Amino acid sequence: MKEQKSIPTSKTQRSAKFVKTGLQVGGNYIKYYSKKLFNPDLTRDGLNEDNAADIYASLSELKGSALKVAQMLSMDKNILPRAYVNKFTQSQYNAPPLSGPLVVRTFTRHFGKSPEQIYDRFDIRSTHAASIGQVHRAELNGKTLAVKIQYPGVGDSISSDLKLVKPFAFRLLGMSEKELNVYMQEVEERLLEETDYELEVRRSQQFSQACKHLDHVVFPTYYPELSGPRVITMDWLEGVHLKEFLQTNPSQELRDRIGQALWDFYNFQQHELRAVHADPHPGNFLITPDGKLGIIDFGCIKEMPGEFYRPFFSLILTDVLQNKQLTLQAFRELEMILPDDTAAEVDFYYEAYREMIGLFAKPYATAEFDFSDQQFFEKLYSYGERISKMPEFKQARGVKHFIYVNRTNFGLYTILHDLRARVKTSRYRPVLTITDQK
Amino acid sequence: MATATQIQKAYIDYVLSNGESPKSVYVFTKRLKIAEEEFYLHFGSFTSIEKSFWADAVSTVVSSIRQQEVWPSFSAREKVLSFFYGFTEYLLRHRSFAVHTLRQHMRGLSAPPVLDDAKPVFEAFAESVIAEGLESGELAERRFFSKRYKDALWVQFLFIMRFWANDTSAAFSKTDEAIEKGITVTFDLFQHSPLDNLLDYGKFLSRNGRFV
Repeated sequence: MKEQKSIPTSKTQRSAKFVKTGLQVGGNYIKYYSKKLFNPDLTRDGLNEDNAADIYASLSELKGSALKVAQMLSMDKNILPRAYVNKFTQSQYNAPPLSGPLVVRTFTRHFGKSPEQIYDRFDIRSTHAASIGQVHRAELNGKTLAVKIQYPGVGDSISSDLKLVKPFAFRLLGMSEKELNVYMQEVEERLLEETDYELEVRRSQQFSQACKHLDHVVFPTYYPELSGPRVITMDWLEGVHLKEFLQTNPSQELRDRIGQALWDFYNFQQHELRAVHADPHPGNFLITPDGKLGIIDFGCIKEMPGEFYRPFFSLILTDVLQNKQLTLQAFRELEMILPDDTAAEVDFYYEAYREMIGLFAKPYATAEFDFSDQQFFEKLYSYGERISKMPEFKQARGVKHFIYVNRTNFGLYTILHDLRARVKTSRYRPVLTITDQK
Repeated sequence: MATATQIQKAYIDYVLSNGESPKSVYVFTKRLKIAEEEFYLHFGSFTSIEKSFWADAVSTVVSSIRQQEVWPSFSAREKVLSFFYGFTEYLLRHRSFAVHTLRQHMRGLSAPPVLDDAKPVFEAFAESVIAEGLESGELAERRFFSKRYKDALWVQFLFIMRFWANDTSAAFSKTDEAIEKGITVTFDLFQHSPLDNLLDYGKFLSRNGRFV
């Protein structure tokens, strides 16, 4: 309960938080204009810095979907500086716990039985929080189980959070309402899907079946008969999260193995299944005592339609990037370059995006890639910071699919960097089949 | 001879089928094919049937939640939560009738008279839970105020009933939220809090006003 007190939970409180930031941002403008009165040469850099600091300070205090949205929107715009990424990933770890009686109620509602009647043993106190629920430990027929229970009202709070964040995002990201709506819808769809636990169980089974042949990757068994709209029962996976794993000073060999498992898992999904576990949050992975990668959350799945997959991965896989005409064509298909752009704008965005894709594709360029490469990541981050300061990038560009695909791959790169893993990137490469060719 | 339960059941059935109470006890007993005095043996009026329905509901739920295995391990807060979840669960089976009786009387903010008999039953339960909470130190002992804790819970009872009666969300999940959040707030107030320090400070100032 302690943690809950420090989080603004109700809608009014959260609104207040946004209002406060709005005021601060407003205040920064006043500060800027009053300074400008005396010093006409003052640039807007100071203002942007002031704004960014206030906005991020405020966002990092918000939990839940508002934060997720803000996080993803900014991730789409540019590659977030590392400090922010750290702040954001922390946020999902704490949430207000459900009371014991409400846990019992959730069970009687759906199963007509209390948890004690369903399981041999059920721990009424939760062991830890999941992103939109909490996890209890239970036992049945000698097996230890993890039972995930969703907080009530999460679906509603997602929609109201998004309404809250909207006007704020216009200001923050300088997008027009029409542009923003496309992205907002995409995010809302995914977030609402995450609240559908029945769908999650089906997908978890489907994906763990499809990925079971991958080396060093393990999935818990799911029990649909013990799951419902707000409850998921699965095997309890023993293991530690990434942070604790790294604290144990694992050998290079072990780090490589986990990194390879991650790479295989993500790239197999992206290129063979064309649908991907789009939440590479460190909390969704466990490293088991026998050195395998355990994957425990399939709430967020992004399916990649052919019209996105083909142009995007053709840029990475083939020599397209060397050919300006083909590259421009792909950028147009991905709406990174728009029909109304002037010749100068086309050139500008061509250069900027070419650099971005080039950076992103670098691990694919060789058969093996060392993700501990500090230089590569510094380039990535500095590119992001540079982009975020360019007025040309105030407008959002790119098709909506970028939000989750960027988040997934950038998240994957970050985890691999944390692992300092050397990965055989030649495995599970992008596949462009004949049907994908035009 | 008809029993009280049978009469109650027949009455509920009548109200649900006709959407209103019978015109008179005479009409009702005739339909039931029992003598009028048999009715008066158990109930004084139709209203007293409705009152006994609510009182029965509260006492049924209290005794059933007490049988849960986890009951002894629950804190006072959780016991009260457990009551409200159990109560709304129980009422689900009788929702139409319950809402009908509440709607008839729910005007303004005062308690509907149909809950008159339920009130002492609920208060007895609340008092016993509060007493346990005070003893374990979970709740703050406050002069004058700790005697009023049960009243605060009764206000929650009325609020939750009103909310539930008007709730249109699927599976009444909004009511679940209202319960969880409302009881949490109420118990936060019952616990040691800045409120105590504020009162203490106020007392100090009033006693030492001459220094201010």
